Amino acid sequence: MKTKDEVLKMEICECGEKNVAQAIDIFQNTSLPFKKAKKLVTECNKTCCRAALMKLFDMQQFGKYDYDEIALLVEKRLERMRRLAEGA
Amino acid sequence: MSDLAWTKLREWLLEHKAIDTSIDSPNMIKRLDLSGRSLQKLHESFSLLTELVALNLSNNLLSMLPDSMKKLTTLSNLNIRRNHFTLLPEVLTSLHLRALNISGNQIEDVSILTQCKDLRVLDLSVNVITSMDGCINKENELRVLNLSYNYLNDVNELFSKLHSIERLDLSGNLLTSIPHTAKAMETLAELKISDNQIESIDAALFSLPLEIIDLSSNEITALDLKGLEDLETITLDFNPLDKLNTSDDFAPYLESFSCDGCGLKSFLPLVSTELKTLCYASNDISSIPEDIGIYEQLNELDIDNNTIVDLPDSMANLTQLKTLYIDGNPLSESAKKVINILQPEICDIHMKRGITIERAKEEDLTQMAELLSVLFAIEQDFTIDYDKQLSGITKLYHSKGKELLVAKYEGEVVGMVTMQRLISSAEGDYIGQIEDLVVKEEYRKMGVGSRLLNKMRAIAQAYGYKRIQLAADVDNENALQFYTRRGFHKTHLKIYHYNT
Repeated sequence: MKTKDEVLKMEICECGEKNVAQAIDIFQNTSLPFKKAKKLVTECNKTCCRAALMKLFDMQQFGKYDYDEIALLVEKRLERMRRLAEGA
Repeated sequence: MSDLAWTKLREWLLEHKAIDTSIDSPNMIKRLDLSGRSLQKLHESFSLLTELVALNLSNNLLSMLPDSMKKLTTLSNLNIRRNHFTLLPEVLTSLHLRALNISGNQIEDVSILTQCKDLRVLDLSVNVITSMDGCINKENELRVLNLSYNYLNDVNELFSKLHSIERLDLSGNLLTSIPHTAKAMETLAELKISDNQIESIDAALFSLPLEIIDLSSNEITALDLKGLEDLETITLDFNPLDKLNTSDDFAPYLESFSCDGCGLKSFLPLVSTELKTLCYASNDISSIPEDIGIYEQLNELDIDNNTIVDLPDSMANLTQLKTLYIDGNPLSESAKKVINILQPEICDIHMKRGITIERAKEEDLTQMAELLSVLFAIEQDFTIDYDKQLSGITKLYHSKGKELLVAKYEGEVVGMVTMQRLISSAEGDYIGQIEDLVVKEEYRKMGVGSRLLNKMRAIAQAYGYKRIQLAADVDNENALQFYTRRGFHKTHLKIYHYNT
Protein backbone atom coordinates (compact mmCIF):
# COMPACT_ATOMS: atom_id res chain seq x y z
CA MET A 1 0.00 0.00 0.00
CA LYS A 2 1.44 3.36 -1.04
CA THR A 3 1.30 6.51 1.05
CA LYS A 4 -0.56 9.55 -0.22
CA ASP A 5 2.72 11.31 -1.05
CA GLU A 6 3.95 8.30 -2.99
CA VAL A 7 0.73 8.23 -5.01
CA LEU A 8 0.94 11.97 -5.71
CA LYS A 9 4.39 11.43 -7.21
CA MET A 10 3.29 8.56 -9.49
CA GLU A 11 3.32 9.36 -13.20
CA ILE A 12 -0.27 9.28 -14.36
CA CYS A 13 0.33 10.36 -17.96
CA GLU A 14 3.40 9.57 -20.00
CA CYS A 15 2.51 11.76 -22.98
CA GLY A 16 2.07 14.89 -20.92
CA GLU A 17 4.73 13.78 -18.41
CA LYS A 18 2.45 14.61 -15.48
CA ASN A 19 2.30 13.03 -12.08
CA VAL A 20 -0.85 12.68 -10.01
CA ALA A 21 -0.23 15.90 -8.09
CA GLN A 22 0.21 17.89 -11.29
CA ALA A 23 -2.93 16.40 -12.80
CA ILE A 24 -4.92 17.34 -9.69
CA ASP A 25 -3.53 20.86 -9.90
CA ILE A 26 -4.55 21.17 -13.55
CA PHE A 27 -8.03 19.84 -12.85
CA GLN A 28 -8.43 22.21 -9.93
CA ASN A 29 -7.44 25.15 -12.07
CA THR A 30 -9.79 24.64 -14.95
CA SER A 31 -13.51 24.98 -15.35
CA LEU A 32 -13.59 22.80 -18.45
CA PRO A 33 -15.41 19.45 -18.60
CA PHE A 34 -13.40 16.23 -18.42
CA LYS A 35 -12.92 15.75 -22.14
CA LYS A 36 -11.20 19.12 -22.43
CA ALA A 37 -9.51 19.10 -19.05
CA LYS A 38 -7.95 15.74 -19.93
CA LYS A 39 -6.27 17.29 -22.96
CA LEU A 40 -4.67 19.88 -20.69
CA VAL A 41 -3.00 17.05 -18.81
CA THR A 42 -2.13 14.73 -21.68
CA GLU A 43 -1.47 17.35 -24.35
CA CYS A 44 -2.56 14.70 -26.82
CA ASN A 45 -5.64 12.90 -28.11
CA LYS A 46 -4.58 9.47 -26.87
CA THR A 47 -6.53 7.68 -24.19
CA CYS A 48 -4.02 5.34 -22.58
CA CYS A 49 -4.35 7.09 -19.22
CA ARG A 50 -8.03 7.98 -19.52
CA ALA A 51 -9.32 5.53 -16.89
CA ALA A 52 -7.10 6.94 -14.14
CA LEU A 53 -7.57 10.55 -15.21
CA MET A 54 -11.34 10.22 -15.40
CA LYS A 55 -11.45 8.77 -11.91
CA LEU A 56 -9.18 11.54 -10.65
CA PHE A 57 -11.33 14.19 -12.32
CA ASP A 58 -14.47 12.76 -10.70
CA MET A 59 -12.75 12.72 -7.33
CA GLN A 60 -11.75 16.35 -7.83
CA GLN A 61 -15.33 17.23 -8.71
CA PHE A 62 -16.60 15.60 -5.55
CA GLY A 63 -13.73 16.94 -3.44
CA LYS A 64 -12.79 13.52 -2.08
CA TYR A 65 -9.71 11.64 -3.20
CA ASP A 66 -9.18 7.88 -2.97
CA TYR A 67 -5.44 7.59 -3.52
CA ASP A 68 -5.45 3.78 -3.37
CA GLU A 69 -7.88 3.71 -6.28
CA ILE A 70 -5.67 6.04 -8.30
CA ALA A 71 -2.58 3.96 -7.48
CA LEU A 72 -4.39 0.82 -8.61
CA LEU A 73 -5.39 2.36 -11.95
CA VAL A 74 -1.93 3.78 -12.61
CA GLU A 75 -0.32 0.45 -11.81
CA LYS A 76 -2.82 -1.36 -14.03
CA ARG A 77 -1.91 0.97 -16.91
CA LEU A 78 1.78 0.26 -16.42
CA GLU A 79 1.10 -3.46 -16.29
CA ARG A 80 -0.97 -3.19 -19.44
CA MET A 81 1.84 -1.38 -21.26
CA ARG A 82 4.29 -4.03 -20.12
CA ARG A 83 2.04 -6.85 -21.25
CA LEU A 84 1.42 -5.20 -24.61
CA ALA A 85 5.14 -4.73 -25.07
CA GLU A 86 5.55 -8.44 -24.39
CA GLY A 87 2.94 -9.19 -27.04
CA ALA A 88 -0.15 -9.87 -24.93
CA MET B 1 -25.52 -22.41 16.79
CA SER B 2 -22.88 -21.94 19.42
CA ASP B 3 -23.45 -18.89 21.63
CA LEU B 4 -19.73 -18.59 22.10
CA ALA B 5 -19.12 -18.53 18.34
CA TRP B 6 -21.75 -15.79 17.91
CA THR B 7 -20.30 -13.81 20.82
CA LYS B 8 -16.87 -13.89 19.23
CA LEU B 9 -18.21 -13.01 15.76
CA ARG B 10 -20.26 -10.17 17.25
CA GLU B 11 -17.16 -8.78 18.96
CA TRP B 12 -15.25 -9.00 15.69
CA LEU B 13 -18.02 -7.17 13.80
CA LEU B 14 -18.25 -4.50 16.50
CA GLU B 15 -14.50 -4.09 16.44
CA HIS B 16 -14.68 -3.43 12.71
CA LYS B 17 -17.64 -1.08 13.20
CA ALA B 18 -19.75 -3.17 10.85
CA ILE B 19 -22.69 -3.44 13.29
CA ASP B 20 -23.89 -1.49 16.29
CA THR B 21 -24.56 -2.77 19.79
CA SER B 22 -28.29 -3.18 19.16
CA ILE B 23 -27.55 -6.29 17.06
CA ASP B 24 -27.84 -9.29 19.36
CA SER B 25 -28.54 -12.10 16.92
CA PRO B 26 -26.86 -13.13 13.66
CA ASN B 27 -30.31 -13.37 12.06
CA MET B 28 -30.71 -9.60 12.41
CA ILE B 29 -27.89 -8.98 9.96
CA LYS B 30 -29.12 -8.73 6.37
CA ARG B 31 -26.54 -6.32 4.99
CA LEU B 32 -22.94 -5.90 6.01
CA ASP B 33 -20.37 -3.36 4.94
CA LEU B 34 -16.84 -4.48 5.75
CA SER B 35 -15.12 -2.45 3.03
CA GLY B 36 -11.76 -0.83 3.62
CA ARG B 37 -10.93 -2.68 6.85
CA SER B 38 -7.58 -4.14 5.68
CA LEU B 39 -9.01 -7.63 6.22
CA GLN B 40 -6.81 -10.55 5.21
CA LYS B 41 -9.41 -13.14 6.13
CA LEU B 42 -12.95 -13.35 7.43
CA HIS B 43 -13.85 -14.40 10.94
CA GLU B 44 -14.01 -18.20 11.33
CA SER B 45 -17.66 -18.03 12.38
CA PHE B 46 -18.72 -15.76 9.53
CA SER B 47 -21.02 -18.46 8.17
CA LEU B 48 -23.35 -17.89 11.14
CA LEU B 49 -24.76 -14.92 9.21
CA THR B 50 -27.22 -17.09 7.36
CA GLU B 51 -29.70 -14.26 6.75
CA LEU B 52 -27.14 -12.11 4.97
CA VAL B 53 -28.38 -10.70 1.66
CA ALA B 54 -25.69 -8.17 0.74
CA LEU B 55 -22.02 -8.28 1.68
CA ASN B 56 -19.47 -5.61 0.83
CA LEU B 57 -15.87 -6.78 1.28
CA SER B 58 -14.30 -4.32 -1.17
CA ASN B 59 -10.96 -2.60 -0.58
CA ASN B 60 -9.45 -5.24 1.66
CA LEU B 61 -6.51 -7.62 1.41
CA LEU B 62 -8.47 -10.81 0.87
CA SER B 63 -7.17 -13.54 -1.41
CA MET B 64 -9.67 -16.25 -0.50
CA LEU B 65 -13.14 -16.78 0.90
CA PRO B 66 -13.91 -19.66 3.29
CA ASP B 67 -15.89 -22.61 1.93
CA SER B 68 -18.17 -22.30 4.95
CA MET B 69 -19.69 -19.27 3.24
CA LYS B 70 -21.79 -21.70 1.23
CA LYS B 71 -24.14 -21.68 4.23
CA LEU B 72 -25.05 -18.10 3.30
CA THR B 73 -27.87 -19.30 1.14
CA THR B 74 -29.69 -15.98 1.01
CA LEU B 75 -26.65 -13.97 -0.05
CA SER B 76 -27.43 -12.41 -3.41
CA ASN B 77 -25.11 -9.42 -3.61
CA LEU B 78 -21.35 -9.82 -3.06
CA ASN B 79 -18.70 -7.16 -3.57
CA ILE B 80 -15.04 -8.25 -3.40
CA ARG B 81 -13.73 -5.38 -5.51
CA ARG B 82 -10.10 -4.27 -5.04
CA ASN B 83 -8.73 -7.19 -3.07
CA HIS B 84 -5.87 -9.59 -3.76
CA PHE B 85 -7.69 -12.43 -5.47
CA THR B 86 -5.79 -14.23 -8.19
CA LEU B 87 -8.34 -17.04 -8.41
CA LEU B 88 -12.10 -16.87 -8.15
CA PRO B 89 -13.16 -18.43 -4.82
CA GLU B 90 -14.74 -21.84 -5.39
CA VAL B 91 -17.49 -21.03 -2.90
CA LEU B 92 -19.06 -18.64 -5.41
CA THR B 93 -20.43 -21.64 -7.27
CA SER B 94 -22.44 -22.69 -4.19
CA LEU B 95 -24.07 -19.31 -3.69
CA HIS B 96 -27.11 -17.93 -5.47
CA LEU B 97 -25.66 -14.54 -6.32
CA ARG B 98 -27.57 -12.01 -8.37
CA ALA B 99 -24.86 -9.34 -8.29
CA LEU B 100 -21.12 -9.92 -8.07
CA ASN B 101 -18.34 -7.34 -8.20
CA ILE B 102 -14.80 -8.69 -8.61
CA SER B 103 -13.28 -5.59 -10.18
CA GLY B 104 -9.67 -4.62 -9.45
CA ASN B 105 -8.19 -8.00 -8.62
CA GLN B 106 -5.62 -10.11 -10.49
CA ILE B 107 -7.92 -12.76 -11.84
CA GLU B 108 -7.23 -14.37 -15.20
CA ASP B 109 -9.48 -17.42 -15.21
CA VAL B 110 -13.19 -16.90 -14.56
CA SER B 111 -14.41 -20.20 -15.99
CA ILE B 112 -16.12 -21.25 -12.75
CA LEU B 113 -18.66 -18.47 -13.39
CA THR B 114 -20.33 -20.83 -15.81
CA GLN B 115 -21.87 -22.40 -12.68
CA CYS B 116 -23.29 -19.07 -11.47
CA LYS B 117 -26.48 -19.10 -13.46
CA ASP B 118 -28.39 -16.61 -11.30
CA LEU B 119 -26.12 -13.64 -11.91
CA ARG B 120 -27.81 -10.52 -13.24
CA VAL B 121 -25.05 -8.00 -12.65
CA LEU B 122 -21.39 -8.94 -13.00
CA ASP B 123 -18.39 -6.63 -12.76
CA LEU B 124 -15.10 -8.21 -13.82
CA SER B 125 -13.36 -4.98 -14.81
CA VAL B 126 -9.68 -4.24 -14.18
CA ASN B 127 -8.48 -7.83 -13.95
CA VAL B 128 -6.21 -9.80 -16.27
CA ILE B 129 -8.80 -11.87 -18.10
CA THR B 130 -7.65 -12.99 -21.53
CA SER B 131 -10.66 -15.02 -22.62
CA MET B 132 -14.32 -15.40 -21.73
CA ASP B 133 -14.78 -18.53 -23.83
CA GLY B 134 -16.56 -21.18 -21.76
CA CYS B 135 -17.05 -18.79 -18.84
CA ILE B 136 -20.70 -17.85 -19.27
CA ASN B 137 -23.44 -20.45 -19.04
CA LYS B 138 -25.76 -20.69 -22.02
CA GLU B 139 -28.69 -20.31 -19.63
CA ASN B 140 -27.39 -17.17 -17.97
CA GLU B 141 -29.57 -14.26 -16.81
CA LEU B 142 -26.94 -11.55 -17.19
CA ARG B 143 -28.31 -8.04 -17.67
CA VAL B 144 -25.23 -5.98 -16.87
CA LEU B 145 -21.67 -7.09 -17.60
CA ASN B 146 -18.53 -5.01 -17.11
CA LEU B 147 -15.37 -6.48 -18.61
CA SER B 148 -13.51 -3.23 -19.13
CA TYR B 149 -9.73 -3.05 -18.80
CA ASN B 150 -8.89 -6.69 -19.29
CA TYR B 151 -7.00 -8.42 -22.10
CA LEU B 152 -9.78 -9.84 -24.24
CA ASN B 153 -9.09 -10.11 -27.95
CA ASP B 154 -12.06 -12.19 -29.01
CA VAL B 155 -15.67 -11.88 -27.92
CA ASN B 156 -17.24 -14.03 -30.62
CA GLU B 157 -18.48 -16.74 -28.25
CA LEU B 158 -19.23 -14.34 -25.44
CA PHE B 159 -21.61 -12.28 -27.58
CA SER B 160 -23.48 -15.40 -28.68
CA LYS B 161 -24.40 -16.15 -25.06
CA LEU B 162 -25.49 -12.72 -23.89
CA HIS B 163 -29.11 -13.07 -24.95
CA SER B 164 -30.49 -11.05 -22.00
CA ILE B 165 -27.79 -8.43 -21.73
CA GLU B 166 -28.80 -4.79 -21.45
CA ARG B 167 -25.54 -3.04 -20.59
CA LEU B 168 -22.11 -4.21 -21.69
CA ASP B 169 -18.76 -2.54 -21.07
CA LEU B 170 -15.75 -3.85 -22.99
CA SER B 171 -13.64 -0.68 -22.91
CA GLY B 172 -9.88 -1.04 -22.69
CA ASN B 173 -9.43 -4.53 -24.10
CA LEU B 174 -7.60 -5.73 -27.21
CA LEU B 175 -10.54 -6.30 -29.51
CA THR B 176 -10.07 -5.80 -33.23
CA SER B 177 -13.64 -6.35 -34.41
CA ILE B 178 -17.27 -6.45 -33.42
CA PRO B 179 -18.30 -9.87 -34.69
CA HIS B 180 -21.51 -11.07 -36.31
CA THR B 181 -22.55 -12.84 -33.09
CA ALA B 182 -23.48 -9.39 -31.76
CA LYS B 183 -26.89 -10.09 -33.28
CA ALA B 184 -27.60 -12.42 -30.34
CA MET B 185 -27.67 -9.49 -27.92
CA GLU B 186 -31.24 -8.63 -28.77
CA THR B 187 -31.86 -6.54 -25.65
CA LEU B 188 -28.60 -4.60 -25.58
CA ALA B 189 -29.26 -0.92 -24.82
CA GLU B 190 -25.76 0.27 -23.90
CA LEU B 191 -22.42 -0.76 -25.38
CA LYS B 192 -19.12 0.75 -24.30
CA ILE B 193 -16.24 -0.56 -26.37
CA SER B 194 -13.82 2.37 -26.43
CA ASP B 195 -10.03 2.00 -26.12
CA ASN B 196 -9.71 -1.17 -28.15
CA GLN B 197 -8.18 -1.74 -31.59
CA ILE B 198 -11.40 -2.21 -33.50
CA GLU B 199 -11.09 -1.94 -37.25
CA SER B 200 -14.22 -3.71 -38.43
CA ILE B 201 -17.82 -3.71 -37.24
CA ASP B 202 -20.29 -6.31 -38.42
CA ALA B 203 -23.57 -4.99 -39.79
CA ALA B 204 -25.40 -6.97 -37.09
CA LEU B 205 -24.53 -4.19 -34.63
CA PHE B 206 -26.86 -1.79 -36.44
CA SER B 207 -29.87 -4.04 -35.89
CA LEU B 208 -29.61 -3.89 -32.09
CA PRO B 209 -31.88 -1.76 -29.86
CA LEU B 210 -28.91 0.31 -28.70
CA GLU B 211 -29.54 3.59 -26.94
CA ILE B 212 -25.93 4.38 -26.09
CA ILE B 213 -22.77 3.33 -27.91
CA ASP B 214 -19.20 4.43 -27.29
CA LEU B 215 -16.74 3.44 -30.01
CA SER B 216 -14.12 6.05 -29.23
CA SER B 217 -10.36 5.46 -29.41
CA ASN B 218 -10.34 2.55 -31.82
CA GLU B 219 -8.84 2.04 -35.27
CA ILE B 220 -12.00 2.54 -37.28
CA THR B 221 -11.26 4.08 -40.68
CA ALA B 222 -14.58 3.53 -42.43
CA LEU B 223 -18.07 3.49 -40.99
CA ASP B 224 -21.54 3.48 -42.50
CA LEU B 225 -24.01 4.53 -39.83
CA LYS B 226 -27.48 3.14 -40.38
CA GLY B 227 -30.51 1.87 -38.49
CA LEU B 228 -30.23 2.05 -34.70
CA GLU B 229 -33.70 3.46 -34.33
CA ASP B 230 -33.46 3.72 -30.53
CA LEU B 231 -30.03 5.34 -30.43
CA GLU B 232 -29.71 8.44 -28.26
CA THR B 233 -25.94 8.79 -27.81
CA ILE B 234 -23.02 7.85 -30.04
CA THR B 235 -19.36 8.62 -29.38
CA LEU B 236 -16.80 8.08 -32.12
CA ASP B 237 -13.96 10.24 -30.77
CA PHE B 238 -10.36 9.62 -31.78
CA ASN B 239 -10.85 7.18 -34.63
CA PRO B 240 -8.87 7.76 -37.84
CA LEU B 241 -12.04 8.03 -39.92
CA ASP B 242 -11.35 8.37 -43.63
CA LYS B 243 -14.90 7.53 -44.58
CA LEU B 244 -17.96 8.21 -42.46
CA ASN B 245 -21.42 8.03 -43.96
CA THR B 246 -24.93 8.07 -42.58
CA SER B 247 -28.11 6.64 -44.03
CA ASP B 248 -31.42 8.47 -43.86
CA ASP B 249 -32.71 5.88 -41.41
CA PHE B 250 -29.85 6.37 -38.93
CA ALA B 251 -30.85 7.21 -35.36
CA PRO B 252 -33.93 9.37 -35.93
CA TYR B 253 -34.05 10.31 -32.23
CA LEU B 254 -30.35 10.86 -31.65
CA GLU B 255 -29.63 13.32 -28.82
CA SER B 256 -25.85 13.28 -28.60
CA PHE B 257 -23.25 12.88 -31.34
CA SER B 258 -19.52 13.18 -30.72
CA CYS B 259 -16.74 12.89 -33.26
CA ASP B 260 -13.76 14.56 -31.58
CA GLY B 261 -10.38 14.32 -33.27
CA CYS B 262 -11.38 12.09 -36.19
CA GLY B 263 -9.90 14.09 -39.06
CA LEU B 264 -13.32 14.98 -40.46
CA LYS B 265 -13.61 17.70 -43.08
CA SER B 266 -17.34 18.34 -42.77
CA PHE B 267 -20.42 17.84 -40.62
CA LEU B 268 -22.47 14.69 -41.06
CA PRO B 269 -26.06 14.96 -42.27
CA LEU B 270 -27.77 13.73 -39.09
CA VAL B 271 -31.53 13.58 -39.51
CA SER B 272 -32.50 13.71 -35.86
CA THR B 273 -34.02 17.01 -34.79
CA GLU B 274 -33.72 15.88 -31.16
CA LEU B 275 -29.98 16.61 -31.00
CA LYS B 276 -28.95 18.26 -27.77
CA THR B 277 -25.19 17.76 -27.85
CA LEU B 278 -23.01 17.94 -30.92
CA CYS B 279 -19.21 17.63 -30.87
CA TYR B 280 -16.86 17.99 -33.84
CA ALA B 281 -13.89 19.34 -31.89
CA SER B 282 -10.33 18.98 -33.23
CA ASN B 283 -11.18 18.08 -36.83
CA ASP B 284 -10.40 19.79 -40.14
CA ILE B 285 -13.83 21.35 -40.58
CA SER B 286 -13.82 24.74 -42.32
CA SER B 287 -17.52 25.51 -42.49
CA ILE B 288 -20.75 24.83 -40.67
CA PRO B 289 -23.67 23.77 -42.84
CA GLU B 290 -26.65 26.11 -43.13
CA ASP B 291 -28.99 23.33 -41.98
CA ILE B 292 -27.50 23.33 -38.48
CA GLY B 293 -30.51 25.51 -37.75
CA ILE B 294 -32.75 22.41 -37.80
CA TYR B 295 -31.27 21.34 -34.45
CA GLU B 296 -33.47 23.65 -32.45
CA GLN B 297 -33.03 21.56 -29.29
CA LEU B 298 -29.25 21.89 -29.40
CA ASN B 299 -27.91 22.64 -25.95
CA GLU B 300 -24.17 22.18 -26.41
CA LEU B 301 -22.05 22.67 -29.53
CA ASP B 302 -18.35 21.82 -29.43
CA ILE B 303 -16.46 22.81 -32.57
CA ASP B 304 -13.21 24.08 -31.10
CA ASN B 305 -9.88 23.61 -32.86
CA ASN B 306 -11.11 23.44 -36.45
CA THR B 307 -10.58 25.88 -39.31
CA ILE B 308 -13.96 27.61 -39.17
CA VAL B 309 -14.04 31.23 -40.31
CA ASP B 310 -17.73 32.07 -40.69
CA LEU B 311 -20.90 30.95 -38.96
CA PRO B 312 -24.19 30.59 -40.84
CA ASP B 313 -27.08 32.94 -40.01
CA SER B 314 -29.23 29.87 -39.31
CA MET B 315 -27.36 29.46 -36.04
CA ALA B 316 -29.66 32.15 -34.73
CA ASN B 317 -32.30 29.38 -34.61
CA LEU B 318 -30.31 27.63 -31.88
CA THR B 319 -32.18 29.36 -29.12
CA GLN B 320 -31.58 26.53 -26.64
CA LEU B 321 -27.79 26.69 -27.03
CA LYS B 322 -26.29 27.08 -23.57
CA THR B 323 -22.70 25.96 -24.16
CA LEU B 324 -20.45 26.74 -27.11
CA TYR B 325 -16.83 25.63 -27.45
CA ILE B 326 -15.43 27.37 -30.50
CA ASP B 327 -11.95 28.53 -29.49
CA GLY B 328 -9.05 27.62 -31.75
CA ASN B 329 -10.81 28.65 -34.98
CA PRO B 330 -9.81 31.61 -37.20
CA LEU B 331 -13.19 33.26 -36.67
CA SER B 332 -14.18 36.33 -38.69
CA GLU B 333 -15.64 39.43 -37.07
CA SER B 334 -19.08 38.53 -38.42
CA ALA B 335 -18.80 35.08 -36.81
CA LYS B 336 -18.05 36.73 -33.48
CA LYS B 337 -21.16 38.87 -33.93
CA VAL B 338 -23.26 35.72 -34.43
CA ILE B 339 -21.85 34.40 -31.15
CA ASN B 340 -22.73 37.65 -29.41
CA ILE B 341 -26.29 37.38 -30.70
CA LEU B 342 -26.52 33.75 -29.59
CA GLN B 343 -25.22 34.65 -26.11
CA PRO B 344 -24.60 31.11 -24.84
CA GLU B 345 -24.25 30.94 -21.07
CA ILE B 346 -20.89 29.21 -21.38
CA CYS B 347 -18.58 30.09 -24.25
CA ASP B 348 -14.86 29.30 -24.18
CA ILE B 349 -13.82 32.45 -26.05
CA HIS B 350 -15.48 34.54 -23.36
CA MET B 351 -13.88 32.62 -20.53
CA LYS B 352 -11.14 34.42 -18.71
CA ARG B 353 -7.95 32.40 -18.68
CA GLY B 354 -5.64 32.51 -15.74
CA ILE B 355 -8.17 32.69 -12.92
CA THR B 356 -6.40 31.13 -9.97
CA ILE B 357 -7.80 29.67 -6.77
CA GLU B 358 -5.60 30.34 -3.78
CA ARG B 359 -5.63 30.86 -0.04
CA ALA B 360 -6.53 34.44 0.86
CA LYS B 361 -3.80 36.81 2.02
CA GLU B 362 -4.24 39.70 4.40
CA GLU B 363 -4.12 42.22 1.56
CA ASP B 364 -7.15 40.50 -0.06
CA LEU B 365 -9.45 41.21 2.88
CA THR B 366 -10.73 44.61 1.72
CA GLN B 367 -11.68 43.23 -1.68
CA MET B 368 -13.32 40.25 0.01
CA ALA B 369 -15.41 42.57 2.18
CA GLU B 370 -16.56 44.38 -0.95
CA LEU B 371 -17.41 41.07 -2.57
CA LEU B 372 -19.56 40.08 0.40
CA SER B 373 -21.83 42.99 -0.40
CA VAL B 374 -22.66 41.23 -3.67
CA LEU B 375 -23.71 38.19 -1.67
CA PHE B 376 -25.67 40.08 0.97
CA ALA B 377 -27.54 41.95 -1.73
CA ILE B 378 -29.05 38.57 -2.68
CA GLU B 379 -29.60 37.17 0.83
CA GLN B 380 -32.64 38.70 2.48
CA ASP B 381 -31.48 38.04 6.06
CA PHE B 382 -28.44 40.26 5.83
CA THR B 383 -27.77 43.94 5.16
CA ILE B 384 -24.79 45.44 3.42
CA ASP B 385 -22.40 47.19 5.77
CA TYR B 386 -18.85 47.33 4.48
CA ASP B 387 -17.28 48.07 7.86
CA LYS B 388 -19.02 45.09 9.49
CA GLN B 389 -18.10 42.82 6.61
CA LEU B 390 -14.46 43.93 6.74
CA SER B 391 -14.39 43.45 10.50
CA GLY B 392 -15.95 39.99 10.19
CA ILE B 393 -13.72 38.75 7.42
CA THR B 394 -10.63 40.12 9.21
CA LYS B 395 -11.59 38.35 12.46
CA LEU B 396 -12.18 35.17 10.52
CA TYR B 397 -8.82 35.48 8.79
CA HIS B 398 -7.02 35.68 12.13
CA SER B 399 -9.05 32.94 13.81
CA LYS B 400 -8.08 29.28 14.22
CA GLY B 401 -9.70 26.45 12.26
CA LYS B 402 -10.61 28.65 9.31
CA GLU B 403 -9.96 28.53 5.60
CA LEU B 404 -10.42 31.44 3.22
CA LEU B 405 -10.06 30.88 -0.52
CA VAL B 406 -10.12 33.51 -3.22
CA ALA B 407 -10.40 33.34 -7.00
CA LYS B 408 -8.11 35.88 -8.55
CA TYR B 409 -7.85 37.31 -12.03
CA GLU B 410 -4.94 39.62 -12.80
CA GLY B 411 -4.50 40.32 -9.10
CA GLU B 412 -8.16 41.16 -8.49
CA VAL B 413 -10.34 39.07 -6.17
CA VAL B 414 -13.26 37.89 -8.32
CA GLY B 415 -14.64 35.17 -6.07
CA MET B 416 -14.35 33.79 -2.56
CA VAL B 417 -15.46 31.13 -0.13
CA THR B 418 -14.79 30.54 3.56
CA MET B 419 -14.92 27.51 5.85
CA GLN B 420 -14.93 27.39 9.64
CA ARG B 421 -14.26 24.33 11.76
CA LEU B 422 -17.13 23.24 13.99
CA ILE B 423 -17.56 20.28 16.29
CA SER B 424 -20.58 18.12 15.57
CA SER B 425 -21.94 16.06 18.45
CA ALA B 426 -23.90 14.06 15.87
CA GLU B 427 -20.74 13.16 13.94
CA GLY B 428 -18.61 13.03 17.06
CA ASP B 429 -15.91 14.94 15.26
CA TYR B 430 -14.98 18.09 13.36
CA ILE B 431 -17.08 19.30 10.44
CA GLY B 432 -16.68 22.29 8.12
CA GLN B 433 -19.13 25.17 7.85
CA ILE B 434 -18.96 26.67 4.36
CA GLU B 435 -19.97 30.31 4.02
CA ASP B 436 -19.57 33.36 1.83
CA LEU B 437 -19.36 31.61 -1.55
CA VAL B 438 -19.72 34.37 -4.09
CA VAL B 439 -18.39 35.18 -7.57
CA LYS B 440 -18.49 38.57 -9.24
CA GLU B 441 -21.26 38.83 -11.82
CA GLU B 442 -18.95 39.21 -14.82
CA TYR B 443 -16.97 36.10 -13.85
CA ARG B 444 -19.94 33.78 -13.46
CA LYS B 445 -20.67 30.85 -15.80
CA MET B 446 -16.96 30.14 -15.95
CA GLY B 447 -16.88 27.42 -13.31
CA VAL B 448 -15.20 29.67 -10.72
CA GLY B 449 -17.73 28.78 -8.01
CA SER B 450 -17.26 25.07 -8.69
CA ARG B 451 -13.51 25.39 -8.45
CA LEU B 452 -13.74 27.27 -5.15
CA LEU B 453 -16.08 24.66 -3.74
CA ASN B 454 -14.08 21.69 -5.05
CA LYS B 455 -10.88 23.05 -3.55
CA MET B 456 -12.59 23.67 -0.22
CA ARG B 457 -13.99 20.14 -0.20
CA ALA B 458 -10.51 18.76 -0.85
CA ILE B 459 -9.21 20.81 2.09
CA ALA B 460 -12.02 19.47 4.28
CA GLN B 461 -11.06 15.91 3.29
CA ALA B 462 -7.41 16.59 4.08
CA TYR B 463 -8.44 17.80 7.54
CA GLY B 464 -10.56 14.69 7.99
CA TYR B 465 -13.79 16.61 8.49
CA LYS B 466 -16.73 14.25 8.68
CA ARG B 467 -19.09 16.57 6.88
CA ILE B 468 -19.29 19.99 5.31
CA GLN B 469 -22.45 22.03 5.48
CA LEU B 470 -23.77 25.35 4.34
CA ALA B 471 -26.89 27.48 4.31
CA ALA B 472 -28.43 29.14 1.28
CA ASP B 473 -31.26 31.63 0.87
CA VAL B 474 -34.45 29.70 0.06
CA ASP B 475 -35.26 32.15 -2.72
CA ASN B 476 -31.84 31.91 -4.34
CA GLU B 477 -32.77 29.27 -6.92
CA ASN B 478 -29.40 29.47 -8.67
CA ALA B 479 -27.55 28.72 -5.44
CA LEU B 480 -29.89 25.88 -4.48
CA GLN B 481 -29.44 24.22 -7.87
CA PHE B 482 -25.69 24.82 -7.76
CA TYR B 483 -25.30 23.01 -4.44
CA THR B 484 -27.68 20.20 -5.34
CA ARG B 485 -25.80 19.51 -8.58
CA ARG B 486 -22.62 19.25 -6.57
CA GLY B 487 -23.88 16.55 -4.25
CA PHE B 488 -25.20 18.59 -1.32
CA HIS B 489 -28.56 17.43 -0.06
CA LYS B 490 -31.21 19.52 1.61
CA THR B 491 -31.76 18.80 5.31
CA HIS B 492 -34.88 19.10 7.42
CA LEU B 493 -33.28 21.77 9.57
CA LYS B 494 -34.21 25.43 9.47
CA ILE B 495 -31.88 28.15 10.64
CA TYR B 496 -33.08 30.55 13.37
CA HIS B 497 -31.35 33.80 14.36
CA TYR B 498 -31.60 35.50 17.75
CA ASN B 499 -29.88 38.86 17.99
CA THR B 500 -28.24 39.34 21.40
